[in-house]
Amino acid sequence: MSNLMNILVVGLLLGGIYGLVSIGLNLIFGVIRIVNFAQGELVMLGMYGAYACYLMLDMDPYLSILVVVPALFVFGVLIQRFILQPLQNEPSMQIFATFGLLLLLQNIVLAVTRGTGYTVPTDLSSVVIDVAGLKISLVRLIALFAVTIVAVAMSWFLRHTLPGKAIRAVTQDRRAARHMGINVELTFMLTFGIGAALAGLAGTLLAPIYTMSPQIGGNFILAAFAVVVLGGLGSVWGAFIGGFIIGLIEALAGYYLDPALKHAVWFLVFIAVLIIRPGGLFGIVGAEEVGLREQH
Amino acid sequence: MVRKFTRRMTLALSGAALVAIAAASPVMAQETFKIGSINPYSGPMALYGDEVTRGYDLAADALNAKGGILGKQVEIIRGNATSPQEGIAAVEQLAGRDKVDVFIGTYLSAVAAAASEAAMNYQKLYWDTNALAANLTERGLPNFARSGPYAASFADQSVALITDLLADELGKDKKDLKVWIEHEESIYGTSVAEIQKEKLEAAGVQVVGMSAHSPKAIDLTDSILRARDAKPDIWLNTGYVPDGNLLLRTMRDQGFHPAAKVMVGTGDTRETIEALGPEAIEGLLVVSYPRPDIDESYGPGAAAYLEAYRKKYHADPLAPQSMTAFVGLQMLAEAIEAAGSAEPEAVIAAARKIDKPLSSYATGYGAKFDEKNQNVLTPPTVIQWQDGKVVTVFPVAAAGGNKVKSLGK
Repeated sequence: MSNLMNILVVGLLLGGIYGLVSIGLNLIFGVIRIVNFAQGELVMLGMYGAYACYLMLDMDPYLSILVVVPALFVFGVLIQRFILQPLQNEPSMQIFATFGLLLLLQNIVLAVTRGTGYTVPTDLSSVVIDVAGLKISLVRLIALFAVTIVAVAMSWFLRHTLPGKAIRAVTQDRRAARHMGINVELTFMLTFGIGAALAGLAGTLLAPIYTMSPQIGGNFILAAFAVVVLGGLGSVWGAFIGGFIIGLIEALAGYYLDPALKHAVWFLVFIAVLIIRPGGLFGIVGAEEVGLREQH
Repeated sequence: MVRKFTRRMTLALSGAALVAIAAASPVMAQETFKIGSINPYSGPMALYGDEVTRGYDLAADALNAKGGILGKQVEIIRGNATSPQEGIAAVEQLAGRDKVDVFIGTYLSAVAAAASEAAMNYQKLYWDTNALAANLTERGLPNFARSGPYAASFADQSVALITDLLADELGKDKKDLKVWIEHEESIYGTSVAEIQKEKLEAAGVQVVGMSAHSPKAIDLTDSILRARDAKPDIWLNTGYVPDGNLLLRTMRDQGFHPAAKVMVGTGDTRETIEALGPEAIEGLLVVSYPRPDIDESYGPGAAAYLEAYRKKYHADPLAPQSMTAFVGLQMLAEAIEAAGSAEPEAVIAAARKIDKPLSSYATGYGAKFDEKNQNVLTPPTVIQWQDGKVVTVFPVAAAGGNKVKSLGK
């Protein structure tokens, strides 16, 4: 019983990590309707950003959020403005462009670091909270709190602020939104900026947990795609809850079945969801038709 | 006027250059023995490719001080290869353009496999000092020999560590000793783990579980909890740096403290101590390449190697692979000298006649090539993290009085 409880806790904490990585991806997917293959690399940049802050400014990774998140917001805006916007009428080219960005970012970091594995030290990373025999790692718990705050904040932002409403309007119908006087291009830049900033936040929060490598983004992004499809394309709460579902499936399958098979299990779930409910559990109707439905 | 002058000068210069090349090239061809080094010099493994090549360069310096190979000065020419395709291209370039005499390598096994076959097309020897995959020598390629340890050598040494040292240190009979074998899921980790299981069981040790994990997994708590449930005395892991670090971190978080933790291949570098801190890795044992700190009677010349390395590169070796590469080139030179030529068949026949016992080289290796052209006297050594430093502790002869510490009971 205590083992089952332990596994459930592990699954929830892991779900927090997955949710954190997926929310930004899902926002970009839902609004701009492109699959951003470089999202994992933005997370990776966030991790290295935290390392750079530690190296140059002797900053704690949690403090470096104040530097890394705004920096990635600006980077995201620039990507949308100068790479994706010129390709606006060619959705498949946009996907290739994000793939190119993935290779570019990976190789730049590779060239700079020469592939050495770095870890950002923080005093918190070895703190473990013991609740009746359940071991809870503090840094993972912080990630879980962060994803909850982000989900609530994003949901409030999208419902109650003017830019948030603009994003929702553009999500529902680009052409109608434009007719209502919404600047679609500006909204896209804002969205990509927020998506990249969330990836940066995920990166800084994960930096104390993992030994980083230039390819580490790929490890997260595969799971993030499963989360996004399961939870629902374009839905903040979908990514949040999808993260927990994938995290729990992985922890349970890994412990009770076989650690080598856990990824196979969640990919089975991934395929099943695609067949039964293509829009995902909380998805926006029609969101799965990306690239097929005519966009203006 | 200016233009005319420039043209004339260009003509004169190119004429002079032509004469210089014509004069220099036959002399160069006579005087240098060219060795093509196939290794990754860019990409994620560049650090290690460079480190291996530093070993070759140091060996070449030592050989040149004594007259080189076959009376010619040795020159190492780099061929960058991060993938099998690039390995083939690098061999073609070095064989065609640079006319190298032999090839040496390789940090990456997959590159070694492709590059050695390409070298076969040019009838050139491919001498491997560092690749780990067992299948390289099992192909029966007539131009291929390996002077250094491979995957099975590491598996064997991890088993010897457990049966010959840890059983006593933990005060347990072999049949009461429980071992958990953890490994990354690709052919590398799996093949090492299978040898470990077979040999441990043959020695009467209980293997209480064997589990594979993906080196890309975001979370490995499941692997650690399964191991913890089996209550092993010794936890044995074969994998890469990121997953090894994540496993160690999870062990600490989950309060899983087996009496001994043994890692194969990785865990002895700055990357691990940086990730976990000195306290968390205190007592961790790592089976790895022999390091220059081994006892001089076990590895004669190890101290001199370290001195030469520091003198040339103004730093300590970043990874222990370079000393194995250094020794590998020494063995190659001996085989070529004995053969009197660089012809693959002649060199390999000469190599098979070499019979040197353990502790003949700086790494503690001997030289005895089997029918598959694999040197069978290449034991890796075992280090332990003690007070934030790596200390060679096994084999006992290599440890020079260093003892294992901080084992649980």
